[in-house]
Amino acid sequence: MNISEQQIWDLTNQAIDKLGANASPDMIRDYVEKEIANRHGGSLPTEKFEGRVIITAFGINKPGIVAKITGSLAEMEIDLQDISQKIMQNFFTLIMIVDITSSPRNLKEVQEELARVGKELTIKIYAQHEDIFQYMFRI
Amino acid sequence: MNFEFSEILETIMMSEVEHFDIRTVTMGINLRDCSDRNINVVTQKIYEKILRLAGNHVKNAESIEAAYGIRIANKRVAVTPVSFIGDSFSSEEYVKIAEALDRAAHEIGIDYIGGYSALVQKGMSPGEKNFILSIPQALATTKKVCSSVNIGSTKAGINIDAVKMMAQVIKDTAYITRDAGSIGCAKLVVFCNAVEDNPFIAGAFHGITEGDATLNVGVSGPGVVLEALKNHKDASIQELAEVIKKTAFKITRAGELIGRKVAEKDGVEFGIVDISLAPTPAEGDSIADILKEIGLEDVGAPGTTACLAMLNDSVKKGGLMASSSVGGLSGAFIPVSEDQGMISAAEKGHLTIEKLEAMTAVCSVGLDMVAIPGDTPVNTIAGIIADEAAIGLINEKTTACRLIPAYGMGVGEAVDYGGLLGKAPIMGVKVLSADVFFGRGGKIPAPVRSLTN
Repeated sequence: MNISEQQIWDLTNQAIDKLGANASPDMIRDYVEKEIANRHGGSLPTEKFEGRVIITAFGINKPGIVAKITGSLAEMEIDLQDISQKIMQNFFTLIMIVDITSSPRNLKEVQEELARVGKELTIKIYAQHEDIFQYMFRI
Repeated sequence: MNFEFSEILETIMMSEVEHFDIRTVTMGINLRDCSDRNINVVTQKIYEKILRLAGNHVKNAESIEAAYGIRIANKRVAVTPVSFIGDSFSSEEYVKIAEALDRAAHEIGIDYIGGYSALVQKGMSPGEKNFILSIPQALATTKKVCSSVNIGSTKAGINIDAVKMMAQVIKDTAYITRDAGSIGCAKLVVFCNAVEDNPFIAGAFHGITEGDATLNVGVSGPGVVLEALKNHKDASIQELAEVIKKTAFKITRAGELIGRKVAEKDGVEFGIVDISLAPTPAEGDSIADILKEIGLEDVGAPGTTACLAMLNDSVKKGGLMASSSVGGLSGAFIPVSEDQGMISAAEKGHLTIEKLEAMTAVCSVGLDMVAIPGDTPVNTIAGIIADEAAIGLINEKTTACRLIPAYGMGVGEAVDYGGLLGKAPIMGVKVLSADVFFGRGGKIPAPVRSLTN
């Protein structure tokens, strides 16, 4: 979220006009949050994480794991770009590369949703930004 | 797929099984603009500046942790050495600054705040003397404040008068915090050749040549190195060095990425990555275990110093390639209480202070978290500090002492702090007198090494 100095100045002046001498820090905070929310169409702007995310899932193999995960990704309007899966002695490993730029959800929400799905399936699901792998394994 | 299956799994194994984490993201904050002749104005300015710059530091770091799936164990702040801001203050007034730092640290939710520090390697102003005398009280009345004093440097020599004072301060701090296992001493470091961009506590401070605010990062990862070595049972020493190098490279790259991202979010400049391998008391996250894996029966065996030298050098070589700005202490740490393998070696009597001292000649950072009997005489503590400083002085490296003369305790007992500070078994000290030496007073002149121009 970027607010220019001019906007901060305007907001401060507005707050002084509206709240007067009785303003407490809490009142000012409420006022400013409301004003910023108004300017961003009703809710405080949440931070957007752009780029590709690597999703890794592990657990005991059972039917429907891929369906369940991809289903929830589709619901979140996440673009699935690559998928690779292996079964090692009944142990299921899945790696997906997805792009969350077009999704209305941010990375944190995606992680929470996947954690919920993981719990349902009793498997572990990680979602990490691609850069960490890029940094560690590519020069 | 851009990445190999094995690469992705390796990263997840590192953070989930091998205890890999970023030890700390430390924001350095300049407090030189907070000076005033009125102590209440100073404390208010300090409090406000820390809140303004680092108010969201913890939140920002947590969001980066989540995004990349790498834990950041500690979020910290380091400030300009406090003695610079308040050279006209009394000891009581300095304590008020410590309390303001502690309040700010609690308010923003960080783990520690460093920089209750002074640099007195060449001499001491009356204000710095007041400052040093305030340390025991400051550490007793605060929880998160860490203190360090630099008493020597290759360019200036060793200020023996300051060494003596610090030995007394350590004793006093142990006494005044005796009800909590002399924990004040765990937050107090005496340095030779202190560095200005060290992100590690207790010695972190924001150097006076630094800008207004920087973000420095310290990595951890002995567990990862250990696992890598376990896969190379029959390797030659050069091959081991190569394995360590490659592992250190990956760890440092992760540190660099996380550091840059946190700096970006905090809105401050990125400073350095400190490529020290910092252990934790968790099982397997131990420098001692690495040394044993290289081929020692236990730490303290003849050969220990050689193995440590190889480990430390390999870590540096890997780290240097991985980061565009390496700094801080950058070497393997051997804190006794924070490393399960070191604790056990000390308890068995395999590791003595003398062997530790030799080890510190080839790694960072010194006699770190070493508990000694509570009745150790002041001049004996001064002797230990001076010896350690001499190693730093002559080898142009940072050395430090974080000694805990645990009040009322003796060899065979241990102080247990829990958390990252761990458990320190009391180690025996040779009580031979150096009273005449310290009675002489003065300083050890700068060595020939300092004349490099």
